[in-house]
Amino acid sequence: MSEATEPPGKKAKMADTIIDNVIENIMHSKKNLTAVLDDDFYKEIPLIKVYIGHAKDPKEISRMFQVLNEKVPLKEFHHLKRARKREILLCPTVFLDTVMPQSIQEFLEQNVDELKDCFEYFKEIEVPHKPPLVRKQYLECSKHWSINFHPNKYLEKLISDDFFKNEDLIDHRLFMGMAFEVAKWYQNDKKFTLEDIVKGNINAAVVVDPKNRSVVAVVCDNRYEHPIQHAAMLAIDNVAKTQKGGAWSTVVDSGTGTLAGFDKGMLMHLKNKFREVNYGAKMFVSKRDDAIQSEDSPYLCTGYYIYLLREPCVMCAMGLVHARTKRVFFCYDNLSNGALKSKTKLQCVEALNHHFEVFTGFL
Amino acid sequence: MVDFMRRALELASEALTAQEVPVGCVFVHNENIVAESRNCVNATRNPTRHAEINCIDTVIEYCKLNNIDYNTYFKDILVYVTVEPCIMCAAALTNLNVKEVTYGCANDRFGGKTVLDISEFYKNNYILNGNLLADEAMALLKQFYKGVNPNAPESKVKKEKR
Repeated sequence: MSEATEPPGKKAKMADTIIDNVIENIMHSKKNLTAVLDDDFYKEIPLIKVYIGHAKDPKEISRMFQVLNEKVPLKEFHHLKRARKREILLCPTVFLDTVMPQSIQEFLEQNVDELKDCFEYFKEIEVPHKPPLVRKQYLECSKHWSINFHPNKYLEKLISDDFFKNEDLIDHRLFMGMAFEVAKWYQNDKKFTLEDIVKGNINAAVVVDPKNRSVVAVVCDNRYEHPIQHAAMLAIDNVAKTQKGGAWSTVVDSGTGTLAGFDKGMLMHLKNKFREVNYGAKMFVSKRDDAIQSEDSPYLCTGYYIYLLREPCVMCAMGLVHARTKRVFFCYDNLSNGALKSKTKLQCVEALNHHFEVFTGFL
Repeated sequence: MVDFMRRALELASEALTAQEVPVGCVFVHNENIVAESRNCVNATRNPTRHAEINCIDTVIEYCKLNNIDYNTYFKDILVYVTVEPCIMCAAALTNLNVKEVTYGCANDRFGGKTVLDISEFYKNNYILNGNLLADEAMALLKQFYKGVNPNAPESKVKKEKR
């Protein structure tokens, strides 16, 4: 049957099934999520040329260490051990004078005279220029030379692709499924098709307070009506509404107080569909209203997780930094505008005052 | 040009009085100010309510009311803002294709050029000029950061000292 003769509604129904299948896949997959980390953790460590000397007398090695550390310190090369068996690391080749070319023997005679006769022979080899950051890099580095390495346990876990415990994984997948459900629910009002959700640039967001497994706000993109009302920007504003703030009156029939982050109809729908989680923010106590601010009172998106259909753009990603979001989860890469993986990794810009963790790999 | 920045500085002072980070902004179209605003992050409890974002909202509202295509309208907008736009605002202004952005002082904490040059990620870019009445803009910021943010939770370090 050609498209033109299909009964109206059939296409919509097909798209409906496609979305439902995506939600099904997201929520029932057992695959762990992937942390999006700094490129530096995956790079090969560059090498640098050094001179090593083969010690004539192994008993002398510890004395040689002392003299070398004092007279030819390794400075920024502290990750390199001074010796591997009888081979002693002398210095990077660049330490030698290039204006008046000298041999390593001449260098020793000039700088460490007491060791000039301690070596059987010298060799030029390549060793890692920078310290390895993760175990995988450490293992590569160790092939070249003995390395000092103290693994960061948390980072090793993050990079392992086995980060989340099963019960947490189920929750993350549930909340991502909810984000798709939100987009599906809004598609009639917001004038986009279900195909836009899967293939276009439409985004939706679910903000969660993980401390009590409570959904704080849900939103869907309004970018076709208002070019900066992307899902993440709207989500930040909806969270503000639960804290007696907010700037956009985008929600037609919004809840109040701790439920101000929802459209009432949407909330009813979600409560019906996802009964196992809580809804609403913690009670907000303002410093302005109350001299003693409650320890528990929410502040912006501090401690919150946000689940987005797709990788946020630069504007949204920076908005989430300003909001101090704790973790950002997304399903689809945004190849043309994504700021957490595709075009740049905002979470890795050290100069910024807040850094969230980013996870993807739902499908 | 200087007059537009002077107006932006007035708005920034207003923000300071209201205990907000003192940043002010005006949008200019055909030599006329068509939007002006200041930071209102604390009042709205929304950290994205920067002066530029507020001005963008004003222009979009104006365009909708008057049946003007905002895509076309933004192409002729000149932005005067007392502090270099942050990464978020710089991205928003790039997406909207504004013609030119002139700022007072650089933003070494969040700047969309200084901290992370976002122009690298886009095909289109606006013309960016800096250092117009920079000292005045900076003086306001210094005055603000001498005080404490009344809305931020007490820092853990301070609490422990007590």
